[in-house]
Amino acid sequence: MGVDVYQLVEEPDWFSALSPRESRLLQGALAYHTLVRPGQRVRLTVLRTDGPHPPSLTDQSTTRIEWPSDRTVVGTIEAQATGTPVSATAAVDVVVDLGGPPESLMRLERPPGRVHEVRSAVRARIPVAFDVARQKRTDRLENRRLSRPIPRVGRSQTRGTGSASGSPRAVLFGLHWLELGGAEKWAAETVGMARDAGLVPIVLSDRPSGHPDIARPVFDDALVIPLSHPMTGEQESRLLSDLFRRFDVRGVHVHHCTWLYNRLPWIRAHYPGTSLVDSLHVLEWRTGGFVDIALRMSNVMDSHHVISPQLRDYLVDRQGLPREKVSLATLADLTVDPAGSPAVAAAPRAPGAPLTVAFVGRFTQQKRPYLFLRLAARLHKRLGDRVRFVMHGDGELAAEVRADHARLGLAGVVELRGTGRPVADTLAEADVLVISSDNEGVTLTSFEADAHGVLVLSADVGSQASVVPEAMLVPRAPLAFLAAAERAVVQLCDDPGLAARLLLQQRSRVDAFAALPRARDWTRALYERWAS
Amino acid sequence: MTNVAAVIVTYNRADKLGKVVENVLAQDRPADQVIIVDNASTDSTAEVLAAYEGRPTVTVERLSENTGGAGGFAHGMSLAYEQGADFVWIMDDDCYADSDALRTLLDGHARAEDSMGMRLPFACSVVRWTDGDICEMNNPEPTWDWGKLLARGEQSVLVNSCSFVSVMFPRWALTQFGLPLAEYFIWFDDQEYTRRLSKAGPGVQVLTSGVLHDLGVNRGVNFGDVNAGNMWKFEYGVRNEASYRWHHEDAFAALRFAQRLFSGLRGGGVPWPLRRRLARKWVEGIRFDPKPRFPRTVL
Repeated sequence: MGVDVYQLVEEPDWFSALSPRESRLLQGALAYHTLVRPGQRVRLTVLRTDGPHPPSLTDQSTTRIEWPSDRTVVGTIEAQATGTPVSATAAVDVVVDLGGPPESLMRLERPPGRVHEVRSAVRARIPVAFDVARQKRTDRLENRRLSRPIPRVGRSQTRGTGSASGSPRAVLFGLHWLELGGAEKWAAETVGMARDAGLVPIVLSDRPSGHPDIARPVFDDALVIPLSHPMTGEQESRLLSDLFRRFDVRGVHVHHCTWLYNRLPWIRAHYPGTSLVDSLHVLEWRTGGFVDIALRMSNVMDSHHVISPQLRDYLVDRQGLPREKVSLATLADLTVDPAGSPAVAAAPRAPGAPLTVAFVGRFTQQKRPYLFLRLAARLHKRLGDRVRFVMHGDGELAAEVRADHARLGLAGVVELRGTGRPVADTLAEADVLVISSDNEGVTLTSFEADAHGVLVLSADVGSQASVVPEAMLVPRAPLAFLAAAERAVVQLCDDPGLAARLLLQQRSRVDAFAALPRARDWTRALYERWAS
Repeated sequence: MTNVAAVIVTYNRADKLGKVVENVLAQDRPADQVIIVDNASTDSTAEVLAAYEGRPTVTVERLSENTGGAGGFAHGMSLAYEQGADFVWIMDDDCYADSDALRTLLDGHARAEDSMGMRLPFACSVVRWTDGDICEMNNPEPTWDWGKLLARGEQSVLVNSCSFVSVMFPRWALTQFGLPLAEYFIWFDDQEYTRRLSKAGPGVQVLTSGVLHDLGVNRGVNFGDVNAGNMWKFEYGVRNEASYRWHHEDAFAALRFAQRLFSGLRGGGVPWPLRRRLARKWVEGIRFDPKPRFPRTVL
């Protein structure tokens, strides 16, 4: 595939002893530091730690030859960029830190700082009150955002030099990080699709990322550079211009990568022949998120791929982007094929069998696991043994979830399951899946639940209305959510035929959604055009 | 391909409804979906509609109670939006569309947008009465520069507002401005809605798109016509317009409306008890300020 952008002067013994994850991180660092110093030999001192520190591979700290005491030296290695004669001057020294093991990074439950400490403490003690305030703030921000225009970058008028035609054809990908869940799961798939289309995938990730997913086979033939910030401006432009010099970059596909979004005007100015597209997943009312950045950059971009009708309506109807510039293509079939897997006929519960209500997802603020626990407490109080609960997941709020579980006296009522157990097991047992998130695009779990014949009860957020029947949509505001969700589950318990009727409605919504264009088809056609 | 939904709202008009639906289905540019909202009719409407059930493009929505024209249109437009319509074309149950009414609306709207260089929030037809004359009830209000498109060779004029008898809304207008106010029930719902949308720019009346409004008499709203039989409609109308003028224009507009109302009542010699009831409705309108609901994106 032609991704050898550097060569080692000599491969040291320790190199082969690195874990696949560390090896990929180091390869990314070698690629970066040799690309930004063409014609120079680069001598890397490679560090690691046992502590909860993400890798530091490309930021300005890599130019300093001192490091914190808890780092240990893995070894040193020399390399130089290929295709450029190396000058006789001495090597440039760089220190890269591969960071701590992934298990230690998981312990980074919250960002450092007093504010986050106080915030976590309040949420742990009074999560519903915390959430009421949070949702009110979201409402305010949502109204403000809808009433204010988003500034846009100007259109590019310049004619640049163009990318290196005749070189290997490539796609430049921007990812948030290398944990392949949600948006990154789709991003990783597109990396594989680019390779299948005969394009070299070049992957830049934005956030410090020590995740083990970098060692996944999908990245085998890709040039992966996990960035850490801040880099110097000079190195940033060198990196990009050298990539465009070595490769015929036919397109840039941005998946949630702020750094790359912000460099698109520069890329358009210098390489106007390169297509610039992005994939957008979710509207984030609080911060604007990637959708706002995409809108800011839209004037220099060719196309926006959106995965939900809600995003299409937001971009076209609310923000006035031309309809032909916004392509709706769903990820309904990313984890299951909704058209190909007719919902398991809802096996009627055995008489007297409890209704099983499940939560499946990461324990994060967005998913609001604390609301599920409170819903379980209310329902248990009201229905007793007629209902049982399974909570399946892990994540940064795991400790809070466990503490809440004990405090609410839910031992023996809500079964907690870790990620070691397949989600399919939980869905196979469940009658109802509760999605308590305060924001979503359209959850892949909803499709998985439907494929298992499980009814989805969801907060009315994002495009959940695309797959969830109206009777099973409940308000986002926490108190109203709890009241409406409680009512819905009680009705399901009291009316044995209701679940089957609602499941039919759910199936018909899922079918209609599945009939929308698919992201895989859209992307495949795009890459084929780029490869031709 | 552009997905157009036609929405027909009906209440106890079994005698005319079949012809209305047939004219919609016979369009030379057919609607991709036809949604018929039955406002809990008590006549033989259900039998008329039974003939259309099962047709692939037709959806019949039977409401459990009469929500008025405003509620029916809000419901039907919301459903059309949920079903992915790019345009929603709405009409009453006594409106017979010419066979090219939809195609000319779409073409005229697109050409007007090209000519104006902006998105236009609605396009309406020319509404004729049964004798071929203009239907007084359904005359749009032109903008100050209404002839701009005519001067450019288009067969369209710019308007601020129009009635719900053959008007088409692009999807973005519903996304940005929401649905008609169901709380208005009847009268002035169309004026409020199209004026609300006009904040984004003028609407357009496409002169080549025509429909026939099969009303008993060809007469616009005239407060001198108030009597005990039609009082209920005027009560809604006065409350709704007072509300609109007060809350969406200003107090002086509401007072000017009061002056117009009472000079009309006096001119028609309307009995004092009815005048007093309408005065109370005017006051009620000052307290009445419903907010629009927004349709939900499904497809």
